[in-house]
Amino acid sequence: MSGLPKGDDGRHHVQSMLMRESLLDKDVQRQTETPVFKMLPEAHVIKIGGRSVMDAGRAVVYPVVDALVGCLKTKKLIIGTGGGVRSRHVLSIGVDLGLPTGVLAQLALADSLGNAHILGSLMSPYGVVAIPPEMFGHLLPLFITSVPGVIFNGDPPYSLWEHPPQTGRIPPHRSDAGSFLLAECFGCKSLTLVKDIDGLYDRDPQSHPDANLIREIDTEELKQRNLESLPFERVLLDLLENARQLKSFQIVNGRHPDRIAAALDGEHVGTIVHANPKQRG
Amino acid sequence: MQSDLLTELGNSLLTGSLNDERLMTQTSGPQAVQILPEANVIKIGGQSVIDRGRVAVFPLIEEIVENLGLHKMIIGTGAGTRARHAYSVGLDLGLPTGVLSVLGTFVSMQNARMLNYLLAKHGIPFIEPAQFAQLPHYLGERGAVIFFGMPPYIYWHGNPTVGRIPPNRTDTGSYLVSEVFGARSMIFVKDERGLYTADPKKDRAAKFIPRITVGELKELDLNDVVVERSVIELMENATHRRSIQVINGLERGNLTRALNGEHVGTIISAD
Repeated sequence: MSGLPKGDDGRHHVQSMLMRESLLDKDVQRQTETPVFKMLPEAHVIKIGGRSVMDAGRAVVYPVVDALVGCLKTKKLIIGTGGGVRSRHVLSIGVDLGLPTGVLAQLALADSLGNAHILGSLMSPYGVVAIPPEMFGHLLPLFITSVPGVIFNGDPPYSLWEHPPQTGRIPPHRSDAGSFLLAECFGCKSLTLVKDIDGLYDRDPQSHPDANLIREIDTEELKQRNLESLPFERVLLDLLENARQLKSFQIVNGRHPDRIAAALDGEHVGTIVHANPKQRG
Repeated sequence: MQSDLLTELGNSLLTGSLNDERLMTQTSGPQAVQILPEANVIKIGGQSVIDRGRVAVFPLIEEIVENLGLHKMIIGTGAGTRARHAYSVGLDLGLPTGVLSVLGTFVSMQNARMLNYLLAKHGIPFIEPAQFAQLPHYLGERGAVIFFGMPPYIYWHGNPTVGRIPPNRTDTGSYLVSEVFGARSMIFVKDERGLYTADPKKDRAAKFIPRITVGELKELDLNDVVVERSVIELMENATHRRSIQVINGLERGNLTRALNGEHVGTIISAD
């Protein structure tokens, strides 16, 4: 063990700023706050809803594909897909059988992957295909510089290691969260969630026709308002508050496919959710 | 979409929103199944045990072998000093949490491989996340299996609130295995007796805490704790594994006693 700092505590260390430190010490953690390198700063991440878009059939999916293809001419796209109705079905059976959250997350991965392959088939004339999750992260920079866009199953690879939620048993990190975390890690330019409503409403617009659209809001206010239902995964509020690179995301209505390109151009065409401005500078 | 083939919950989930809190309260379902109720999950510390080399690892390996046939063991490994080095290099270069998570995974994988070779003659396999479907078979046949403790979040690892070190590391990955399989116990093997009021390696006045609840621990708001804070938070939402024990693996016999259900270190419980 020569060359290693002498283990006066019996442990063989390697010289580094974190040597001998407890990574759970809050003072040590504060020292690790440094600026982050952006790996894919020009790429845009787009999440295509499962039930809201993919399950809605040709009338909805084809125009969305056309809109995405239009964007490929000038932009690099990383496209995640939701699992939709099949995910909800397998989740309901899994809950009924008493299976834990981690198993439900593992099962649901297959449905978003199926939707990724459906979208990838439709976009294959443009060289845009679904990439299996096992190699997606490691090879993403290679793909994105070789082709105008790539598709992945929006779910993060948490699988059996999914966190049990506070309420019920449904996995809290689904395809919105997977798309967000990827955009944050790779330092991407924007995150757009394509759904079937114009954005966030103060009440569920499907059961309350008089619900009001909220065009812009930050996470602090959203948490205070404690809305019963959101058009995106609730965990996104925490992820956005802890984000170092992504400062906002936008929800747009895929039934107006022109809004997808507009959102990528930075236009405000749906609801923009910002990180709490007081959270970090 | 209403269908007789679907359960009532199935119909609600197909039409309702998964982001609706009211609907989520209906998804607790009937009684949760314990997938591997006889298994014990053991996390072997990286910096605290494996980095000490033979003097700490060999007696622990002997103890694991002694318990084969008596207790089923799912053994996760920590990362330790090389992860600290990789994190330092990565932080200096400005790499994000997700990339640091990939680097930490590689180190805990090295440690898992080393334990795997030391236990190989007893037929104990090392499995990666993709091989977890075979875990019940190996556990049934050989009584133990080794995995790397890092949860496979890689580039999708959420940021910590403070700093950039991945917050869900090998303690969390091991703990989540114990929760998802409804394991009999979760034992963290470290190089301290358990939880202290401060880091006992740096503060001689630190006091040992033999038993504490998650609520009390949060109230204490210690600057340093013996297990990852996310384990403590996740335990509150857990269905099965609502307590853990942290033990000193440098003392021969502690692991066996903990496997036998004895209280030899610090027990942290959600209730």
